Formats: sequence, structure tokens, C-alpha cells
Amino acid sequence: MRIHDLDGLHDIRRTGLMKLLPGKPRIGVGMGTCGMGNGAREVFQALERELERQGVDAQLTPVGCFGFCAAEPLVNVHIPGLPLAVLGEVKPDDAAAIVQAIALRQPPLEKAICKIEEWDHLTGHVMYGRGLPELPHWNEIPFFKGQKKIVLRNCGLINPEDIEEYIAVGGYHAFYQATQKPNVTEIIEEVKKSKLRGRGGAGYPTGVKWDLLSKTVADQKYIICNADEGDPGAYMNRNEIESDPHMLIEGMLIGAFATGASEGIVYLRAEYPLAVQRLKRAVAEAREFGLIGDNVLGTSFCFDIKLVEGAGAFVCGEETAMIESLEGRAGRPRPRPPFPAQKGLWGKPTNINNVETWCNVPVIVARGGAWFSEIGTAQSTGTKVFSLVGKIRNTGLVELPLGTPLKNVIYDIGQGSPGGKRVKALQSGGPSGGCIPADNFDVTIDYESLAQIGAIMGSGGMVVMDEDNCMVDVARYFVEFTHSESCGKCIPCRAGLDQALRILKKITGGQAEESDIQDLEELGQMIKEMSLCGLGQTAPNPVLTTLRYFRHEYEEHLRARRCRAGVCEDLFLSPCENSCPLHMRIPQFLELTKEGRIADAAEMIWLDNPLPGSTGRICQHPCESQCRRKTVDAPLNMREVHRFISDQVFGGPLLDEVRTRLAGRRMAATGKKIAIVGAGPSGLAAGFYLALLGHDVTIHEAREEAGGMLRYSLPQYRLPKDMLSKELEIIAGLGVTFRFGQKLGAGVSLDVLEAENDAVFLATGTWKAARAGITGEESPSVWHAIHFLEQVARGEPTQIGQKVVVIGGGNAAVDSARTALRLGCEVTIAYRRERQEMPAIAEEVTDAEAEGVRLQFLVAPQRVVTDKRGRVTGIELMRTKLGDYTLDGRRRPMSTSEKIVVPCDNIILAIGERPDAEPLRRFGIHVRENDTAAADWVTYETNRPRVFAGGDLVTGASNVSSTMATGKAAARAIDHILTGQDRLPALLGTFDVAQAVPPEPEGGARNVSEEMPAAQRRANFAEVMRGLTQAQAAAESGRCLRCDVRETCSAKE
Amino acid sequence: MNWTPVFAGVTKSQGLSKDEKEREKGPKMLAPDNTPLPNEIINDIIARHPDKTGDVLSVLEEIQQAHPLKYLPRETLDYVACRMGVSRSQVLSVATFYSFFNLAPQGRHTVTVCRGTACHTRGSKQLLDALKASAGFHEDDEAGSATSFTTPDFGMTIRTVACFGQCALAPVAAIDHEIYGHVSDFKLKKLVSAIDKGTAS
Ligand code: FES
Repeated sequence: MRIHDLDGLHDIRRTGLMKLLPGKPRIGVGMGTCGMGNGAREVFQALERELERQGVDAQLTPVGCFGFCAAEPLVNVHIPGLPLAVLGEVKPDDAAAIVQAIALRQPPLEKAICKIEEWDHLTGHVMYGRGLPELPHWNEIPFFKGQKKIVLRNCGLINPEDIEEYIAVGGYHAFYQATQKPNVTEIIEEVKKSKLRGRGGAGYPTGVKWDLLSKTVADQKYIICNADEGDPGAYMNRNEIESDPHMLIEGMLIGAFATGASEGIVYLRAEYPLAVQRLKRAVAEAREFGLIGDNVLGTSFCFDIKLVEGAGAFVCGEETAMIESLEGRAGRPRPRPPFPAQKGLWGKPTNINNVETWCNVPVIVARGGAWFSEIGTAQSTGTKVFSLVGKIRNTGLVELPLGTPLKNVIYDIGQGSPGGKRVKALQSGGPSGGCIPADNFDVTIDYESLAQIGAIMGSGGMVVMDEDNCMVDVARYFVEFTHSESCGKCIPCRAGLDQALRILKKITGGQAEESDIQDLEELGQMIKEMSLCGLGQTAPNPVLTTLRYFRHEYEEHLRARRCRAGVCEDLFLSPCENSCPLHMRIPQFLELTKEGRIADAAEMIWLDNPLPGSTGRICQHPCESQCRRKTVDAPLNMREVHRFISDQVFGGPLLDEVRTRLAGRRMAATGKKIAIVGAGPSGLAAGFYLALLGHDVTIHEAREEAGGMLRYSLPQYRLPKDMLSKELEIIAGLGVTFRFGQKLGAGVSLDVLEAENDAVFLATGTWKAARAGITGEESPSVWHAIHFLEQVARGEPTQIGQKVVVIGGGNAAVDSARTALRLGCEVTIAYRRERQEMPAIAEEVTDAEAEGVRLQFLVAPQRVVTDKRGRVTGIELMRTKLGDYTLDGRRRPMSTSEKIVVPCDNIILAIGERPDAEPLRRFGIHVRENDTAAADWVTYETNRPRVFAGGDLVTGASNVSSTMATGKAAARAIDHILTGQDRLPALLGTFDVAQAVPPEPEGGARNVSEEMPAAQRRANFAEVMRGLTQAQAAAESGRCLRCDVRETCSAKE
Repeated sequence: MNWTPVFAGVTKSQGLSKDEKEREKGPKMLAPDNTPLPNEIINDIIARHPDKTGDVLSVLEEIQQAHPLKYLPRETLDYVACRMGVSRSQVLSVATFYSFFNLAPQGRHTVTVCRGTACHTRGSKQLLDALKASAGFHEDDEAGSATSFTTPDFGMTIRTVACFGQCALAPVAAIDHEIYGHVSDFKLKKLVSAIDKGTAS
């Protein structure tokens, strides 16, 4: 089978093409490791059986991976004359239907995700056929849009185990061409002209490296392919070798020919058994065809390739370490110079390039360096393959022209984080790289731009992180990695990383001091500057970039001893507790409820959360999104269990017991006086805790009753006011004094409060409505949600018309809509984005819809339409469409020219509220641009000592539990300052709770409270949710997996 | 030949299904720490690597694979050094440097949890911790440098890998080299108890 010349090559090409386009249907199954990990082998076997059973004549062949890992197993089907159809997520059970369709010469469309009409292999061209208009072209679907396949030109389309198919698409032709050049320098010139840079990370120009080697005179030269893909999270090299091993061999052949090397070595990770096997086979085939060995293609050129399996040492990716390793020693780097080009393997001149660098070479020779250099940017030419993994919906291998903006990769191709969480950062370049914050996702992907923001391209691993990833933990993770991979030769790396790891562990363990951050930063710089090799020089990058972009997370671990992402286990009880702004001890009160210890449960709940009846009804329940039970079936209904407990308390004799127990916890009087301004949830929480801590508390409130938004904004059907009053009675019963009708700046003066008290806490909320900025907004029939809701809450007549349009998508919008509906109106909610982006609680939206509220998405208010007499007759809305992704990962609503008018009598604007900052400014309290008060984020102290501020006044409009949490935190800080002791933890106490993890998930399906039927509830303000029954609450509590109980050891006994 | 392969020819189901008692006998049958591989086998392997580039690594890799307990006994290292004409210190240095090599006998089954970045972001640390805990290993952070844990009865070794290159399926774990993607702690527990009972594939 030896090929001697071009004719020989052409003969094989013809045979190969007969395999690619056999004149009958061809089915290719993606059989890379990831395909097989997803069941590709089973799919292949099932197809084989079905072809046999149905007696269908088709060619079934394994192919490599087409890159869309999230849709594995991938199968492509070609019916002669038609486009190649790419099918995704094929299961063995689909085989029968696929073969049936093929028998009828129809492509199996059911699982098809896209089609390929023709394919440019760059070294060759294949025309499959036109048609199938119902299928998008491959590069029209999000995952492939914007991709350009140069390295992956053949992957997923040809059989990697058949050299003839590689030759069919023009393989080894570039090598042949190269051998025909009168002078090898022409090849090197072409590579130089392409401006190809090393794809292993450092980005050194390949042509220059080759030039050096070719100019060195020696009896023996080596070229090495670095396939020791050591960056965890990067697997493109694996796929390249598994899917198209011959492109690597051809690249190395050309390189050897151009530089005069006679031996090539591929240093390949032993963890990639399939790649090893395929490459071995490809080398054997190439030898059989006379493409490697002696007198290749009938020339005098002799070249052989040897495969060495690496044994798992990250540092061996460094070229001098790799040489050490190949020489049979531990892979410890050597100082350079001498560079490998002068003195490399066994002291001979050596050139090392990464897999992907080699794979680009045949294309450069075939199409010319100039062609290549036009792709990408001026300094970073060509494409790069990235492995897009981590918290991203569309995982896979993505090949992009360099210079592509990062946000296209994350949001367009990757489609953001699964489960709708917010993408927080991208880690690029593995342990040597850095973390890029989402705010910087407009950076373009090229060597220089990435270096500028402290990250590196590296080998192309892109690991996406979302809100649930802790950046301090990420830094610690990488340092743990480089620390254990450090070869130990130089001290800065060995001892420096050890020290850095120690500090990071202190931080994640909640034991660090403020100075540690600075030490860490200095240490990082030192390691970077003083280490011997690339490993040490880059190892601090993950630390330094996280310190640069996510310093607040470090500070949060340090100052607040908190890991918001819920990763650093020493800092929280359980994921639900950690996500609860009030840090309710959820698993513990669930356990108490399960055991029927209702009084204990109630006591614990009250201590953690003084308004459980309210939060039990209206909380946004962030806990559910963190509940581990959702990996089994559905998250725990924690909110309704604590509502159940509070209902038990208010419904019977338990009330006295709870009041007695709370009073019993009240600490001895301190004699300190504290004034709180604002009796909303934040002020109430602060008052509750400060009273229990033994202080003398007075709450000043502008309105005539306490509760704030809970009373004056939340509709009765969600939060019955008599229940709220009972909650307030408990707080008052603990000794909190209320003074009503006291408005800050009018009835009460901050100066006086300050003078007469030991501390002041301001929590005046956000009672100013934001303006929409549309014409006609001033009309008396255009209302703001908070004013409307307050009017209804007070029982005042509203003179609302027949038809109402509510503008907005938050809870206030939905509350206003459902309230208006209950007043007998026809209601439409108009929101400028899509449903899944509505900030309102999803259940509320569903309920609103069930009650008959109309939802209109993708519209933005333009102007209020009035008749001649100035009466509102409608609102003009502009239809929007979703445009580009902005840096927050959402698509920008863009105006279209299409306008619609929705007739209505009233318009309710629910587009946000802000605080009234005037009184604060007057008292010299620092106020931010958005009118919120500036306060320390741990203690909530303002610039005026002993004056604290919290709640929506500080955070801007938020939700009940977050706003209460600021009151709780401020109470802790106030107490700490006034008494010199951190006494809140002691107040909360500990409870004796069983510590056993259920061996199997128990309790069955999620329990939800009964709802009043939609038809009944539209006509009145009666409460919608009836609450869990006793049996439901007990069963629901039993579903808890008890993440608070850490399995430590010897569970085996 | 002084060595009898303890488990050669014993299929998984035979070797393991005889439940607890059988397992208790395990350590006694398996414990000989220094069982070297017969020299003939080592010689064969060395002979297959005449080319000096990369030979030490490759030879050790193959010997380890050939050993039923998947490790390199001390005698073997000495023998390899002598046979290949390299210093003992060099062979020992290689064997201790690369994470692939084991210097202690491995369990009959290996559960490997990927600790690569993609898997880490998707909770592989918790997977590993839970697995270790259920196998009776104390979580000891200071000694956290250990990368493999073998149960006293040599039933199972738990180890980590830097990355399987299967990152799209994160978190990934492998049981006796069979890869499982999107693993949760429940799923892993089930898989492991299946091998405990000898019912895994
Ligand atoms: S990070 Fe786990 S397989 Fe790559």
C-alpha cells in the first residue's frame, strides 16, 4: 500500500472518497471519549442491529467528535443527494426510527439539530447535497454560530481510524506539496507569514522556532509534540487526536521535513487511553502507507514517530521538564538557556510544539500563510479551540477566530449558565491563567488582550463560574493544584505556594486576619517574579486575578466570615441557611418540626427571624435554589414549613409559650438607649434583637401603624394584616416602644435622636416612586404602584377605571395587577423583557395569570394616550426585540418601529422606588448617587459614628428577608459597640437537635399548601394560600437531607 | 517463579459476591506488601522498549499495569534499575514524582473522582468527601496531600485525577476505568455499593 508519488496519493483519495460518499446512506456515530461516555457505543451497536434487522443497506462508521458535547451522542446521517443531517442526543432506542427513515431515503429529522450542505475541509471539499429547508445550517444554530473550524476541519466527519478518509479530504497532500518545494526555507517562510503562534499557552511564533531549529547543524534533531494536556478543564487536544490523528502526524511530518528532524515524539497523557490507541493506530497506518519511515513518498527523507505516555505530572507541560521526563527522569525543569533548539532531548537540538500548533500546519501549507494570517487579528492570527465547560449550558469544544469577544462565547454560543443563574467569571488558561469577571466579558480573545486583564489564553480551557462558585475557593483550588504539582526544585515556588495555600485555607476556614490579604498579594508577586519555570511564574495568577476582581469576596470571608456562594463549608451550617439572608437554621427547625417539637421549632424560628408569619408567606425563598433535595426530586418547601409553625403559634396556646420563652431569653438591662427610625421589617428586626439584648429601644414611625411595606404595600390576599399585627405584638411585648406619626426631618430630628440615644438606626425605606420618563406621566390617571397599593391597603377608595395597564415585571407590578383585578378591573401587565426575566416571584406570576391577568412581554411604554379632554384612553407601547447580550448576561431589549396602543383608563407604573434622601443629606449622612445611604456592609454604620442605616434605605428596594437581615446585622454591630462584646450568637443559642442523615431520601414528593381556586379568589382579598396541614408539614420536614450534618468518618461500621 | 497471582482468573462476580466474610478474608490474602512481579515479565517489558527515549516511564507504566495490585513493589524498582542500567535513585525518583505510579498495593476496585477545574466548579470536592467519609476515611485537611486512599481490606481504592478530559460531563468519576458523567453523591453511592456487592458491570 505504500504511496510513492502524487498518483499514488490520488488513487487513495479516490478510494477514500468512495467511503465518505459511498453512493448509499452513511451513518457516522461520534465516537470520541465524551461521545462514548454518553452512550455512543450503545447507539452504534443499536444502529448496527437495526440495519441488520431491517435489512437496510447503509454504511455505518465511527467518526470523531463534532464538538457539541452538550448534545452528545452525536450521529450524522447522509442520504445521497441530500445534506448531511447532524442528530443530537441520540439514544439506542432511537435507532429503529433512524434506520426506518433511512430505508425510505429520508433523513431522520426528529433528532436533527442542523444540516451540512457542503463542507470545506480546507485541504479538500465535500459536497453533500442541498435541501432539507426545515433544518438550520450548522452554523446557524447558537452553538456553532461564529465558529470557524480550521483545526477541527475534519473532526466528526471522517473516520479517525481510516487513513484513506483523511486522504480523501486532501490529507497528506500538503505534506506532498512541501516535499516538492525546491528549498525547505519556503515552508518555514510560509509558516512565518501565517504568524501562527504556539497554541500551548505562551504564544511564541512557530515559524521563528522552526527557523532556529533548521539553522542549527546537528547529526540528529528532534521534534516533540506536547500532548500532555495537563490543564484540568481543557480537553481539546484529546479530541483533536481522537478525532483526526492524521492531521497531527502530517503537521509533524511537515515540521520535521522543514527543520531536518528525523525523529518525532508525541508525549501524550496516559489518562487519554482512546487518544493513545487512535494515535498508535494512525502511526501504524501512516507507516504502512509509506508516509513515515524510511524514504517517505519516494524521497530521501526519513522520519519516525514515537509515542510516550506521560505519567501525570502537570509540570511536564513545561518543555525542559518534558525533556527531562523523556530522558527517564523526574520532570524537573532546567534553567534556560540553553534553549531546547540548541540543546534539547539527549543534548540534541529539539523543537516542541503543542498538538494544536502542529494541526494548523497542513492547512497553512495547503492554503498559504497569507490566507491564514487574514483570519483572526493582526497579532493573533488563525483560530483557537476552546473547551467551554463548567457552569454553562452548551458545553463543548468551540473553535473561534482569535479576536472574538468573550461575551459571544459565554452568552451566544454557551447560552449562559444552566438553571438561569448569573455567570460570575470565566477561568481561562487553567492553573496558569486567571479569572475574568463578567464585567470584562467584552474583552476580545487574543493573546495580548487576555494578558492585559491578567488572564492568559493558555491551552484554551474556559471554565465558566456562576453565583454558586466562590472565587476564594477557586484561588485555593488552583494553588492546591500547583502546590502539589510543583516539582520542588526552586524555593519561591515550593515554599511560596505552600505559604499561599496556608493563607488561603485560613481565609476559607474563617480564621484569617485583615493583614492576610496583603500578605497573599505580596507573596503572589514574589512567586511570580522569582520562580524558575513557567509553572511557578504563573501559579499566582489565579490568586492575583481573583484578588484584583473579586476582592470583596475575600473581604466577605474575612470580615463577615461568610461565603456567599456556599462553597467554603466551615463558614455555614447548610446551603439553605447560607442563602437565607436571615440565616435561619433551616435543617434544624425542619428536624424539630419532623419530631413534633413545635414549641422548640417556634422558638428557634423566632430567634432567627422575628417576622416568620410574614416571611413564611411572602419571602422570595432563595433557599430553594440551593436546596440539595432538588437533585433528587424537588427542593424543600422551607418557606411554608415555617409559616406552618407561625400559624400554629398564632392559632392557639403556643403563643403564650413562645412569648414566655422569648422573654426568658432577654438579657439583663444594659441601660443603653437606642432610637430606630422606621417601623418596617428592617427597623422591626433591629428593634427585636436590640430589645432581647437588653437595650432600651424606641421605634419612631412616620405612619400611624408599624409594618412598613408589609402593611402598606403588600396586598391582604398575600399577607393578612391581622396576622402581621400579632407578630408586632410579640415585638412590642419584648419592651420595644413605638412612637407613631414621627417623620424624620419633620417630627423627629436626627440631631436630637443622636444626642438623646446611645445609637440610632435609620431604616426609612424606599417610598419615592421612580419616574418612567414618558409623555403624559403626570396625568392624574397614571399612578405609581406603591401609592396605589398603599391606598388600597388603607381601605381608601381608588376611583379605578375599567381597564388597567401595569408597567413593570417585579413583585410590585404583580401585586398591583392582582389588586386591580380584585377591584374588578381588566388588567394587563406590560414588561419589556421576557417572562423568565421577570424579577417577581414566579409563583406569583403564575397565580396572576390564573386569575386572569394578561401578560404582555417585549413592550416598552412610549406615551400616555389621552382624549381631547385630557382623559387617559390608553398607552402606546413599542414592541421591543431582544438584541445583543449585555455584560450582565441578559439580552438588551431593542426598540422596533412597531407600536401598539392598549386601551385603558388607568396606568400603574411599577418600575422601581428609591429612598427619600433629603433628610439624610441635611444631617450630613453620605448618600450614594441612587439616593441610598452609604453604610458599612458588615456593621451598617454610616459616616456618622453610632448612626447606623439599613434596609431598603441602604440596599435600594429589595425584599423582606434581605431588609430584615440588615436590621439584624446592625443590631449585632450596635450591641457589639455598646457592650464591647459580640453577644448575638449567644442570644440565638443552640438547640439539641438530632444529628442523623437519612440514608435514603425520605418523605416522597414536595408538599405545597392548598390554594383557593382562581375563580373564587378574583373577587375578594381573602388569603390565597391556605398553608400546609400538620401532616404535610411533618412530611415536608422529613424530606430534608440534613446537609447541616457533615458526614465525617467511619459510616461503615 | 515465586509469585502466584492471587486474583488472576477470578472474575469480579466470583471474587466479590461471597459477601462480607469473603471480604474479611481479603486483607490476609492480599496483604503481602512486597509481592514483586516475576522477573520474566519485567524482562519482557524492558525488551519491548529498546529505544531509550521515554523508556523508563513506559517500562514502569507497563509493569504497574501488569501487577494485579497495580503498584510498583520496591524490589521491582531495584530490579528495573539494575536491569536497565540506570541508578536506583533515578528509578525511585521517577516512581515517586509522577502521580500515576503507586508504591503501595491498590484495592481490587478503583474509584477515581476527577478534581479538574470543570468538575470542581460542579462540586467534585463534595463528591470526594462524601465518598471518603462513607468508606471510613477521616477528613484530615492537613494531611490533605494524600491522593489515594485504600480501604484496609483492599476492597477499594479511592483516588483523584487531574482531569479525565471529559469536562463536558462534569462532575466525572470512574469506577474501574468505566467513566460516569454528571455524577451526584447519590449516584456515586449507588455505583459504589453496586461494586461492593459485586453487581457492578
Ligand atoms: S475537569 Fe473533570 S474531566 Fe476535566
